[in-house]
Amino acid sequence: MAHDWQADFEQLVDEHQSMVFSLAWRMTGDRGLAEEIAQDVFLELDRNLGRMESQDHARFWLRRVAMSRSADALRRRKVRGMDLWVEIEEGHGAKAEDRGSPLGARLEQLLATLPEPQRAALVLRYQEDMTPEEIAATLDAPLATIKSHLQRGLKLLRAKAQNHLKEYVRVKEQVREF
Amino acid sequence: MSFEPIDDFERELQQALERRPAPPGLKRKVMNVRSHARTQRIRDHRVMWQRLAASVLLAGVLAGGVTWRNHEERRKGEEVRRQVMTALRITSHALDQMKTQLAAQDRDGGQ
Repeated sequence: MAHDWQADFEQLVDEHQSMVFSLAWRMTGDRGLAEEIAQDVFLELDRNLGRMESQDHARFWLRRVAMSRSADALRRRKVRGMDLWVEIEEGHGAKAEDRGSPLGARLEQLLATLPEPQRAALVLRYQEDMTPEEIAATLDAPLATIKSHLQRGLKLLRAKAQNHLKEYVRVKEQVREF
Repeated sequence: MSFEPIDDFERELQQALERRPAPPGLKRKVMNVRSHARTQRIRDHRVMWQRLAASVLLAGVLAGGVTWRNHEERRKGEEVRRQVMTALRITSHALDQMKTQLAAQDRDGGQ
């Protein structure tokens, strides 16, 4: 039963810090800011710990608040997609091992150039493996809007990838030949 | 429910967007700030209760003072009333005596 579940703050931080941090980082493109947001989200969780009904509820709540805080931070900074792209490309203190493969890093850079609503939908879809229904509930948006953001975002990302990721095709071909 | 990636591109995107490990110090920072915030909250609560207790004490002292003053005024009023009544009784007694003496004199004079 959900009511038998007792929220353990330390355990929740352990389990979800990677999720919250990754969401904030991919939404803001700034590692330092993402860390601040993650910290704020968990402190907010501490204040609302008594209202958490289950593990799923806590995860849903954390995703929702992380996305909302990231959007607030973006609005405060008035950062546009292209600015974020520059920040991510420059690394902003990210370690080399944090940046994954070059192809993955480039896809992340391109993702950061998308408009915020499309980026939010794609991050939740592909990082968190969420369904459009779950994304709609998390972002408190109509399902049709989310589906549209996913479709348009993916289309735009593909177009950008075709223009910017020449090495993607080259590497793929080299791998196939090898 | 989990969607299967539709094509290679989406699969690449999914791999690119795998969760990143949180910075090593994040949990420690969160726990430190939380602990500090809790201490601050407890301190704020204590100060609030102290202020509340001081307010209640002050209100009690004021209310007690007002009550004592009212009681004292009532007691003084009662004392004055008693003195007036005593004075009236004495006066009345003196008048009665005088009346008796006058009546006796009238009787003696008539004889």
